[in-house]
Amino acid sequence: MPADARIDDETAGFIQGAVSIIAATRNAEHRPALVRAQGCRVDPGGAGLTVLVVADQATELLDDIRDNRRVAVVFTRPSTHRSVQVKGEDARIVAASAQDLALAAGYRDAMVAELALIGVPEARVRALLAGVGELVAIAFSPTSAFVQTPGPDAGRVLEMPR
Amino acid sequence: MTPGLDAIRDCLDGSQPGVMATCAPDGTPNVAYLSQVEYIDPAHLALSFQFFNKTRQNILANPQARLLLMHPKTAAMYRLTLRYLRTESEGPLFERMRAKLAGIASHTGMSGVFQLKGSDVYRVEAIEPVPGQPLPVTPPRRNLLEATRAVALRLADAADLDAALEALLTGLRQDFDIHHAMVLLLDGGGQKLFTVASCGYGESGIGSEIAVGDGVIGVAARERTPIRIAHMTGEYAYGQAVREAMAHGALADRLETAIPLPGLPESRSQLAVPIVGGGRLSGVLYVESPQDLRFGYDDEDALVALGAQLGMAICALRADASGDLPPAEPIPPPDGAPVMIRHHPGTDSVFVGEDYLIKGVAGAILWTLLRDHVEHGRTVFANRELRLDPRIRLPELSDNLEARLILLTRRLAERDACIRIEKAGRGRLRLCVRRPLKLVEMPSERAG
Repeated sequence: MPADARIDDETAGFIQGAVSIIAATRNAEHRPALVRAQGCRVDPGGAGLTVLVVADQATELLDDIRDNRRVAVVFTRPSTHRSVQVKGEDARIVAASAQDLALAAGYRDAMVAELALIGVPEARVRALLAGVGELVAIAFSPTSAFVQTPGPDAGRVLEMPR
Repeated sequence: MTPGLDAIRDCLDGSQPGVMATCAPDGTPNVAYLSQVEYIDPAHLALSFQFFNKTRQNILANPQARLLLMHPKTAAMYRLTLRYLRTESEGPLFERMRAKLAGIASHTGMSGVFQLKGSDVYRVEAIEPVPGQPLPVTPPRRNLLEATRAVALRLADAADLDAALEALLTGLRQDFDIHHAMVLLLDGGGQKLFTVASCGYGESGIGSEIAVGDGVIGVAARERTPIRIAHMTGEYAYGQAVREAMAHGALADRLETAIPLPGLPESRSQLAVPIVGGGRLSGVLYVESPQDLRFGYDDEDALVALGAQLGMAICALRADASGDLPPAEPIPPPDGAPVMIRHHPGTDSVFVGEDYLIKGVAGAILWTLLRDHVEHGRTVFANRELRLDPRIRLPELSDNLEARLILLTRRLAERDACIRIEKAGRGRLRLCVRRPLKLVEMPSERAG
């Protein structure tokens, strides 16, 4: 497993932008769980990645992370369908910082603007991303990434710089 | 108590309906967007299988999956626990999904990319609402169950097929706010559908035909399943299919005897439901709209119910073809210059003067009526005698004489021909001829 894999700058820009983020895990019986996340940040250098989720919406997912630390996250730009999936094996739960709360607020505003491009009204975006309770951060080192834009290229492994 | 899938099926409509998580045999989770989720029943759904991707590999090895859905209006989220059961690659479910996928693909600019390989069927084991702050549910523009009741009562009041078709189209306009609709009935041979009633088009298209299997309408007939498309699509454009068939195929030499199928040039939502009664397909009810996402699951349910009622009415009317004697009202004798009526025996095409009027079984019926009128002075005919008349060669198995008579009656009225057909009591008709007729039987034109 390449421990020093990192997210390239272009991909980092994409996944920190106005993209839908869905995180998934699995339990000991290999039953998957998933939740919508509310923002993402990439550590300088691209070796670490953090996504924010509402704890009450992610009970099972957080249990799975405590159990086996495996995670997969898909990032999709609604207006173009461009999609990237990033996976990790060392996910851990971290308390959200004040910067994280500001990041989530900025993310919601960016999503309102992005989804307006395809005709989704602001109220619906705010409802989808309502901050109902405590936000927590899931941090992990990306080990692999895949192109997931629909089409013949879907599933291609995204080369990760070392 | 969690809701059944039927309670949240609006979440399955739309161009990006869900995200699914699966798990590989080595324990690696995977998460991917789906392009299509199809409702089957309160405990089952189907997902489109288009590519042999990670999701597909995973569910074949480990049938457990979780699906995240969002309500398209309220943004409420639901998490579904699924178990993969099987893949279907033919039949009604597959065809329904294929037609719908073509609509989604066209809407999202993915026409060359999306191609359905199979319908993956899953059991829904649990539905869990995700905590959140969804928007309030807005009341629908109309309670469709109540609208269905209103149209069902109109249909129940109709004494014959003509009245039933009018009741249905009027009801769709008034109670469903559906303004573009047509009813097509199955030809005796079971290979073609012909338009017998329509509303909302510049040209009624009465008498126009489409092959079973062609376009949204033809596939709905062949598979006896509703086909609902929320976005415009080229692949299933029925008009185009017909035009292409006419340009390339065996119909090319008969262009002058074809009536164009009506249709919206910018159709963005389409719904075709089979008309079935007594275990037999009778035809297709088709509605369309220039709006995207105009028809939902509830519209589909309503039209399927009304299609079934019309199907039963067609069966009942077929069985009840006997009736009273006609009221004897005098018909004014024909007057003016004679009109030449030509009949081509090969196709049973009938021309009034230089104008094409009708062909096929309806053409044979008209020719028979006109001959008996000119040769024997008859004006009143019983449906039963027409049904048995060897000159008409009505297909025995699928006896749709009433539908043919309606088609003929409407076509005559539309063309403002000098010939009219009126009802003359139950099971009888009266031929009204305004001008003297000169009947000309053309020689058989067998080429080669």
